[in-house]
Amino acid sequence: MDHFPTNWGRPRNDAFDAYATHPIHQRPYNGPKDTFADGVQRTQQPIVTGTSVLAIKYKDGVMMAADNLASYGSLARFKDVQRLHQVGNYTVIGAGGDMSDFQYIQYILEELSVEEISAQDGHELGPVEIHEYMSQVMYARRSKMNPLWNSLLIAGFKDGKRFLSFVDLLGTTYTASTLATGYGAYIAQPLLRKAVEGREDIITEEEARKILEDSMRVLFYRDARSLNKFQIATISSAGVSISDSMQLDTTWSFAEDIRGYGAQTQ
Amino acid sequence: MTSIGTGYDLSASTYSPDGRIFQVEYANKAVENSGTAIGLRVKDGVVLAVEKLVHSKLLVPGANRRIQTIDRHIGMASAGLLADGRKISQLAREEGSKIRKMWREPLTVKALSDRISLGAQAYTLYSSVRPFGVSTIFGGVDKSGPSLYIVEPSGVCLGYHGAAVGKGRQLAKTELEKLKLSELSMREAVMEAARIIYLVHDDNKEKEFELEMTWVGDESNDLHLPVPDDLLEEAKSRAKAALETFE
Amino acid sequence: MFRNTYDSDNTVFSPQGRLHQVEYALEAVKQGSAAVGLRSKTHAILLALKRSTGELASYQQKMFRIDDHVGIAIAGLTSDARVLSNFMRQQAMGERMMFNRPMPVNRLVTSIADKAQVNTQEYGRRPYGVGFLVIGQDQSGPHLFEFSPSGNSYEYYAMSIGARSQSAKTYLERHYESFADCNLEDLIRHGLHALRETLQQDKELNVNNTSIGIIGPMGQHEKPISPPGSFRILENEKVEVYLQSMEKKEEAADPAPAPVPAPAAAPGAAADDDVQMSG
Repeated sequence: MDHFPTNWGRPRNDAFDAYATHPIHQRPYNGPKDTFADGVQRTQQPIVTGTSVLAIKYKDGVMMAADNLASYGSLARFKDVQRLHQVGNYTVIGAGGDMSDFQYIQYILEELSVEEISAQDGHELGPVEIHEYMSQVMYARRSKMNPLWNSLLIAGFKDGKRFLSFVDLLGTTYTASTLATGYGAYIAQPLLRKAVEGREDIITEEEARKILEDSMRVLFYRDARSLNKFQIATISSAGVSISDSMQLDTTWSFAEDIRGYGAQTQ
Repeated sequence: MTSIGTGYDLSASTYSPDGRIFQVEYANKAVENSGTAIGLRVKDGVVLAVEKLVHSKLLVPGANRRIQTIDRHIGMASAGLLADGRKISQLAREEGSKIRKMWREPLTVKALSDRISLGAQAYTLYSSVRPFGVSTIFGGVDKSGPSLYIVEPSGVCLGYHGAAVGKGRQLAKTELEKLKLSELSMREAVMEAARIIYLVHDDNKEKEFELEMTWVGDESNDLHLPVPDDLLEEAKSRAKAALETFE
Repeated sequence: MFRNTYDSDNTVFSPQGRLHQVEYALEAVKQGSAAVGLRSKTHAILLALKRSTGELASYQQKMFRIDDHVGIAIAGLTSDARVLSNFMRQQAMGERMMFNRPMPVNRLVTSIADKAQVNTQEYGRRPYGVGFLVIGQDQSGPHLFEFSPSGNSYEYYAMSIGARSQSAKTYLERHYESFADCNLEDLIRHGLHALRETLQQDKELNVNNTSIGIIGPMGQHEKPISPPGSFRILENEKVEVYLQSMEKKEEAADPAPAPVPAPAAAPGAAADDDVQMSG
């Protein structure tokens, strides 16, 4: 049996995806081999994946949200995965993309933290340093043609300054007052920008939480790889706190009126 | 020492006719010349303390630490050549890193001390190196609870309830033996450790000293951290008071 | 010359638990001309005495920049110093690249101390023959460290190394409590006074033989620089204004202790002041 989830799944639909190229561009090639093309093949795609991570700046710091799902292709495989990870005392890193690569990232950051703690000289890694480190790691890996298949958001608060940045599998970095990875970059980012831009110093913690919850709700409605179970991390002068998992109220009664898919016959 | 000058004491790879390895014994001499370090393994944690001899008043107090952190949950105090102590701590951190990489879990104090003692032993075998001039106390809290070990220049590694190395170790051991270590709390251990360090310090012979103390266990959330300033100060003043009644 | 059985290589402990080769390396540091370091709440400075082999030769280099936030003064073998300072530069640059921050000064010093330790334990090597005074500033403010060939490093309020450094040390010990609140000019004056103590009877500090290294905000005699005040070395005419500020040496009131007699074991310790190999 072919165990690659992307090779099974949706039937081909001539109307919008005649060649079954959506949503993943590259699939493993299982046909006859070209003897002369026998080079090293490294990661071609993520396997167990997390979807969007959202983050915004607000009055007292930065807030980040991600759901608890790790998908195996279209299968909702693990429903209790934490995708927000605390590093040191000032930073949270949130990941979309390949979850085993993210676990590896957590390991190298743990290694780094222990090194830093061992020095015990009062110097601590803050979000700025961790961002720089991650961007170097991600860029070095992609330059070896062996990327860590993730999009990362790095959020922190140190020395009275908030920090929020993005790093991806190519080593691309940028920063803004609202950031989103994965599907959220398309669906949630416009909502976040509308709610936050220009108001970073006004938005209260409650309001920030509501903005993220609303966006998570929209994502849950529209992103087939998402889950209505998520966590929120707040990073402020009070330090880092990552909430327990929570759920949002959603309404599905409208589904009955939709025709054309599912169990209905007409 | 009668063998001085006989030529049997010039290399770690040479036995004397009566079966001793003098280079290892000389390494122990380097340990004996150094300020005392002690460790107490108690009910809910471990306390480490050193008598840090201050060789110049130009030194910045508190800056030149002699107790080192190996991992979140393990600390190390050494007596002897300070630079050798740092080399040991380097090796210890590498050991922690290897175990974390292989097993994705923190290393235990026992495993650590074992591995370091093997390393120390290797330095007693060859003429191309000299033994480590330090005795090292490893203390920490791991899945088997609080533990405390000493690794000596010879490569001997033993577990202890109360450990003492360096100049004042004899007196310190006598004092440690009087305590019911497995019944003490960490706070009580801090007081006792301070008292012992103040007691073994020889005011007449030695220069100034600074008490440096760390702990790991329930009180510190299983992290190896310096003992909080207020507690340290309290321990110091109690130690000074106890010293007066002692004499 | 005195010889002892336990001093021929660094892998041998003496019966007293000492390492003679390491102790001799410490003597090599004393062959070099003196360097002095001081620290206030805002600044850390270095002062060094440069030697010249003759009228036609230039004066030696006693100070090296490691990074914007770190500089060193050396005493001992200059070639060893260049190897170690190169290593320090690499470390500091690595930290900037990986973490986008200035490397904590104590870690930089520890990194070369760890390197030096290896040379005291393994056969076929010799301990480094150079001592450093390292100044730097990081998130925890200005610092002064001493590095020595034994693999030890310590943080000090003030320190001196090199030939006749004990005299400078005596001066520093007498005055160090006032350094914390000094402004840059006063700190440099104290440094020059300390450095002066290391001179031979007939010599004086002048614009040719004095180097000053500074970390910290701009002083009143300096051209404007950006706020954190990165490491800079003052030499030649730039030193003049500070030399002018020195007070006359009170000969009788403040008798400098006799120079430490050179230990018998150190070959050529009493040799000419202008040994070319030494820094």
